[in-house]
Amino acid sequence: MAAESKLAPIRKGLLEFLVLKIVGARSVYVPDILRRLADTEFATQEGTLYPLLSKLRREDLVLYEWKESDAGPPRKYYRLTDAGRAQLTSLDEYWSRINRTIADIGH
Amino acid sequence: MKRISVTVSLNRSTLQFDDAAYARLEQYLAESASLLEGDPDPKEILGDLEQAVADQCTRRLRPDQSVVTLAELAPALEEIGSVQATGPSVTPDPSTGSPPRPLQQISEGAIVSGVCQGFARYFGLNVTALRIFTVLLLFVTGGGMILVYLALMLLLPYAPREVGAPPLGWLPTRSRAFMEYVRAKLSLATN
Repeated sequence: MAAESKLAPIRKGLLEFLVLKIVGARSVYVPDILRRLADTEFATQEGTLYPLLSKLRREDLVLYEWKESDAGPPRKYYRLTDAGRAQLTSLDEYWSRINRTIADIGH
Repeated sequence: MKRISVTVSLNRSTLQFDDAAYARLEQYLAESASLLEGDPDPKEILGDLEQAVADQCTRRLRPDQSVVTLAELAPALEEIGSVQATGPSVTPDPSTGSPPRPLQQISEGAIVSGVCQGFARYFGLNVTALRIFTVLLLFVTGGGMILVYLALMLLLPYAPREVGAPPLGWLPTRSRAFMEYVRAKLSLATN
């Protein structure tokens, strides 16, 4: 499908936004994020998510803490920093504006 | 005689791999490392990936099975997928530019106080080489280097620690406590 090649970069750009939304809802570890995205257009893999989370952490948008797990080694739980929350809010607003524009234009 | 398995330490887990699975794992990690070239934090991501491999393989082992084979590793790697680098760490923004890494002492993994680690990060040097050089300077200067090191401990700010990071070693803990004490004394004296 020709449209697919145009949609892929859009999804790629939006993944970061969605990850911020998921992390913003509650403190999560990576399998939670993967599960949340699994049945959506944004299904992704650890190989993609870890580099993205590392980047978000460097940008001070998310941070993580180690939590003990019932089985196996401690896990990294991610949550938003204040800067992350501020960015999520402005992304949310921007997204609503874009949606309105797309809906209105051409009519 | 035949070697049956290799013990592999993957981040915080330890697992047994047979030779074929071990070779495949090595190949995957080497590929990931080369895909992450240019990423500022490849070590962190590789550690996370190792942990993901360990978790995925552990989940796939039968209860009576102790050695990971390709039958477990191949689908595990398939599910993890190959590394997608995020490109430049910070989207180039002409107004701010990318944040410089400040000169700080890094307590995590420090031998004494993390001064060498801080300099190594700032100048992009190999920390072991820098430590050896520092010890050489210690001899060459007849101990004068100790004063330089103490001055740097006093002057350089500490790099922020991660929330919930493992506790520091004995010496880094003591040196931080000592410097806090000295700084408190000094600020009393100057006020």
